[in-house]
Parts: sequence; C-alpha cells; structure tokens
Amino acid sequence: MNAQVTGSRPLVEMINIQKSFGGVHAVEDVSIDLFPGEVVGILGHNGAGKSCLMRVLSGAMAPNAGTIRMGDEDVRFLSPQDARRQGVETIYQTLALADHLDAPSNLFLGRELKTRWGNLDDKNMMEEARRVLHRLNPNFKNLSDPVFRLSGGQRQVIAIARAIYFKVKVLIMDEPTAALGPAETAMVADLIRQLRSEGIGIFLISHDMHDVFDLCDRIVVMNRGRNVGGYRIEEVTKDDVLSLIIKGEMPAGWRPRNAARTPQTGLSSN
Amino acid sequence: MSVEVERLVVPLAGVKISSDALHKLSALFTLLMLVGLFAFGNAAFLSVGNGMTVLLQTSVIGLLGIGMTLVILTGGIDLSVGSVLALSGTVAGLAVKAGIPVPLGMTMGIVVGALCGAVNGIVVTKMRITPFVATLGMMLIARGTALQITGAAPISQLGEAFGKLGNGSLFRAIGMGTNGLPKIIFPGIPYPAILLVVVAVTVAFMLHRRSIGRHIYAIGSNEEAARLSGVEVDRTKLAAYVMSGALAGLAGIVLMSRLVTAQPNEGVMYELDAIAAAVIGGASLMGGVGTVSGTMIGAFIIGVLRNGLNMAGVSAFIQQIIIGFVVIMAVYVDQLRSRR
Ligand SMILES: Nc1ncnc2c1ncn2[C@@H]1O[C@H](COP(=O)(O)OP(=O)(O)OP(=O)(O)O)[C@@H](O)[C@H]1O
Ligand SMILES: [Mg+2]
Repeated sequence: MNAQVTGSRPLVEMINIQKSFGGVHAVEDVSIDLFPGEVVGILGHNGAGKSCLMRVLSGAMAPNAGTIRMGDEDVRFLSPQDARRQGVETIYQTLALADHLDAPSNLFLGRELKTRWGNLDDKNMMEEARRVLHRLNPNFKNLSDPVFRLSGGQRQVIAIARAIYFKVKVLIMDEPTAALGPAETAMVADLIRQLRSEGIGIFLISHDMHDVFDLCDRIVVMNRGRNVGGYRIEEVTKDDVLSLIIKGEMPAGWRPRNAARTPQTGLSSN
Repeated sequence: MSVEVERLVVPLAGVKISSDALHKLSALFTLLMLVGLFAFGNAAFLSVGNGMTVLLQTSVIGLLGIGMTLVILTGGIDLSVGSVLALSGTVAGLAVKAGIPVPLGMTMGIVVGALCGAVNGIVVTKMRITPFVATLGMMLIARGTALQITGAAPISQLGEAFGKLGNGSLFRAIGMGTNGLPKIIFPGIPYPAILLVVVAVTVAFMLHRRSIGRHIYAIGSNEEAARLSGVEVDRTKLAAYVMSGALAGLAGIVLMSRLVTAQPNEGVMYELDAIAAAVIGGASLMGGVGTVSGTMIGAFIIGVLRNGLNMAGVSAFIQQIIIGFVVIMAVYVDQLRSRR
C-alpha cells in the first residue's frame, strides 16, 4: 500500500522553486513532494527543466527562489555535501565521474575510507567497491582501470553504486538507464523496487514510458520549466502523459482513468 | 600478455594508470640513454663529482617541477615560480643581511613564497581568473617586487652560514692524502639533493595515500564531477598553489644559498624548465595526469642534458634548441601511444 494513504509525512517538499539563467527560465515556480517508499517520475521534453529542478535538490545548483523542506525543517543546500548529509543522493545525468580515477576512487570520491592514520585505505575501498558493483553487474571486472576506459554502461553502474552505497533517504536518478543494456536495465528496475520497499523515496527522470509505468507510483510532468501536472500512475495512460509532455495539457475532456475510485485530492497537481 | 605486464608495472611504479607507468618507463629509458651517451663522449661525466653537480643543478628544477606538477594536476599552471623563487631568495637574503638568524630568514623566504602561492590560489578560485593569467600577473608582481626591494642589485656577503644549505653536504669524508694535503674521499650528498628527495617522497605520499592527493587528481580529471562528489574544489586548488609557491620559495633559498648571494635576477624562465620537466615526465596540461616520479625523471633529463652538453662544449643557445625538441618529442610520443 502506498505511503501517502497511510498518512505519513513527505520525506521532502520542494516549494515554489524557481531557477533562471539570464533570460532562460529553466524552472518556474515548481512545487513537488516525495513520500517514503515512493517512486515519483519526473517527465518532460528535452530542456523542460527536469535536471535543473533535481540539481537544486542535490545542492548542485542554488535556486533563485523557493524552499526545500525535509521533515519539519526548511533546509538550504549550499553544496552537494549539504544535501548528502541529509541523505539526498544523486545519480547525475552526466554521471559526474573523474575520468582518470578508477572505480573505487570514484565511488568513494569526497568520502574516502581511511586507515587509522588518516591515509587512504585503498584495499578496503577496492573490496567494498567490488561488493557493491557486483551486486549491480556481476560481470564487472577491470575495477582498477581509469573509468574513461570503461563502457558507458559500466560508468553508469559506478554512478548508481555511488548513490546507493551510502545511507540514502532520497534518491535522485537522472536518466539512470540511458546507457544500459536490457539486463542491466532490469537490474536497475529491481534495485528501484528494492529501495522503495526499504522506504527510500526516489525521483526518477526517464524518457522511457515503459520504465515509468512499470516503476513509478506517481508522475510529475514538466513543460518549459513549469509543473503542468502531477498524477497517480493509475489515473493516466501513456497517451495522456505524452500529451502532457508535448502540449503541456491533458487531452480535451480528460478524466482520471480509474474514475471508479475516489479522486486523490491531496496531490499537488497545479 | 600485455595485461600481465601492466599488472606488474603498476604496483611497482605505485600508480594507478598503466599508460602513465609506460610513459615513465620510456622517460627513464631516455634518461639512461642520455647518461650512456654522455659518458661515452666524456669519461669525466660519470665521475662522482660531476654526478653531484648534476644532482645539485637538478634539485632546483626538481623542486619547482614538483610544485608545478601539483598545479598542473588540478588542470592549472603556475607561471610565477621563477619570479617567486627570486623574491623568496632576496627576502631571505635581505632578512639575513638585516641581522636575522639564517634559519629564520630562510623560513621567511619560504613563507613569502607560500603567500605568493596563496594569492595565486585566491585569484584563481575566488576571482575566477584563469590560472595562466593569474600566475602571469604574479610572475610580474613577484619579479618587480624582488627588483624593487633590492634596487635591482645583488645582495652579497651574506656569511658562511647562509651558504651552508646550498653548498654543504652530508657524509662528506675527508682523509689525508699521501702528499699531506687533505683529500676528499667522498664529496658527500649535497643538502639540496637530500631536500629534493625528502620533498619528492613527501609529495608523492600525499598524492597517492592522502585524500587531498586523490582530490587533486579528481579536480584535474573533471572539476564539476569533483564538486558534485563533495570535493572541496576551491580549498584543494588553493592548497596546490600554496605548495607550489612554498616549493618555489624553497628552491629560491637553495639557489641563493648556493650562490651565497641573493640575486633578484635569478630564475628567469625557470617556470618553463619546471613545466618541461613535468611534461617530459608524463604530466598532461589538461590536468588529472602526472606523477612526482615522472617529473623527477623529467627534471633529471633536463639536468643531464644541460650538464652533458656543457661538458661537450655545446653552447647554451644550442642547448635550448635541443631541450625544446625534447619537450615536443616527449609529448608527441605520449600522444602516439594513447592514440593507439
Ligand atoms: N548551467 C546552465 N546555464 C545556462 N542554461 C542552462 C544551464 N543548465 C540548464 N540550462 C537551461 O535550462 C533549461 C533546462 O535544462 P535541463 O537540463 O533542466 O533540461 P532537462 O529537462 O533535464 O532536459 P533533458 O531531458 O534533455 O535532460 C534548458 O533550456 C537549458 O538550456
Ligand atoms: Mg536532463
């Protein structure tokens, strides 16, 4: 059963977020929320502002206006470290890997494991990296190669592993399967389900309708920087979502597809 | 088979990147070839005394090169090291001349170098000026200051104690010759060489075993990724520039001590030797690639070339031409390999 129905509080709320670059309004007055154990799909055309919105939550980008609330507190993420400290982990669309470092160094970049003397504990990091990477891809070898020599899929697996290795409450996945083969994509889908069952909240950005309908509990659609609708996944069809993405509005005369059930009023669909 | 070789080479060289290790091996090979060549041309080249001379000459380029490597690894460049060397040396000289004890005066010189580096780092990280421009400015500022505070005149008669660091050596053994005059059995290991080894080992340790080292590589590799991963990018870069400045200061002290004179005109174009040493040793000006050991080999290649060509009576102008070719060839060979 879903978390909202049981009346729990949102893990995170982003309220009236705004971000512009000169004249470009990347994110305009967007509000979204995320509950424990929920997967919320963030959809939209290229350049709709999905990544910008998520980067604000990651602490990678400062918003021009708006607040972020976690639990009862307003939080300000001035850096990615701030967000990570609050349990917000991100798989960036760009993967954010240091090309000349190997997989373990990337996995632990910024939070290296150290020995008693404060030296890098490369042995330990290698073992841990092997463990977590093999969970995602049992064929992952060449762990000590610099990551620029790895395939796109392997690089993506490292970025995913880095986000889930540490204690995560809110996971942001910006097109996490873009470079993955079918087997790895299925593995990531399983991972998402498992994390959800552990009570982790996930924002999933994806252009793959099949994945979205397969994994998400709820979707939020962005169109030219605006939030043009948030719906429970049972309320919509793929055509509805496509219409929202492309035109920014539902087809004429749209009604929730599961109209038999009572409409969800508490959801943010501004 | 090649995988096996890489596996063997990598742990030996203490680096993670095998192409890097390969580059280093070929640079080492070049160095040995040069030594062989010069030794063949002139037997005196291999004498202990000449070895010490090379060591001494190389120590200054080596110290500058190690600092330069740190900055280059972050994707930056430090054009100010030659001028900072002069400023630090003259500050130390002036201080000693003013009656300040030698160790304290020399420390002041190094501190001035570190301060210059700190200004570089702040201009690069806070004012967002590109490293090339920021350190070009510092190059002029430091040189101008050195000339201004000395009235462009060398400061001599600094006393025996001032010359100790640059001219003294450890384990110097002097015996009695058959003719009753003192005879040098072993010239000793010059202090500058010891200093160079200590600095090289320390910095190499920092780069490979401490998180700041890992962060330096990460920043040069992909600065945005490093930032998103929680690396304190600005603080790490600042540290790299401060270390480069401090090492330039140290090199300045060593050099002026060697001359027992503080020369505001010393070190012109040394930044280029330092960059050349790093690049010959496999550092990439794009950042993220390079090692202390590679730069040391690069510094020795330059030192040996200069010394050997000197002994062979080749003019300083021709030397420059040859070193210019070596730099280009070193980078070209490296590119050929990585294109493969
Ligand atoms: N750093 C930046 N500087 C200037 N403009 C930017 C920057 N980042 C994003 N933008 C602009 O903001 C808008 C939203 O970009 P964003 O990356 O959020 O899109 P997106 O929805 O993630 O698209 P995609 O599906 O292609 O990843 C775009 O018009 C983009 O050009
Ligand atoms: Mg995007």
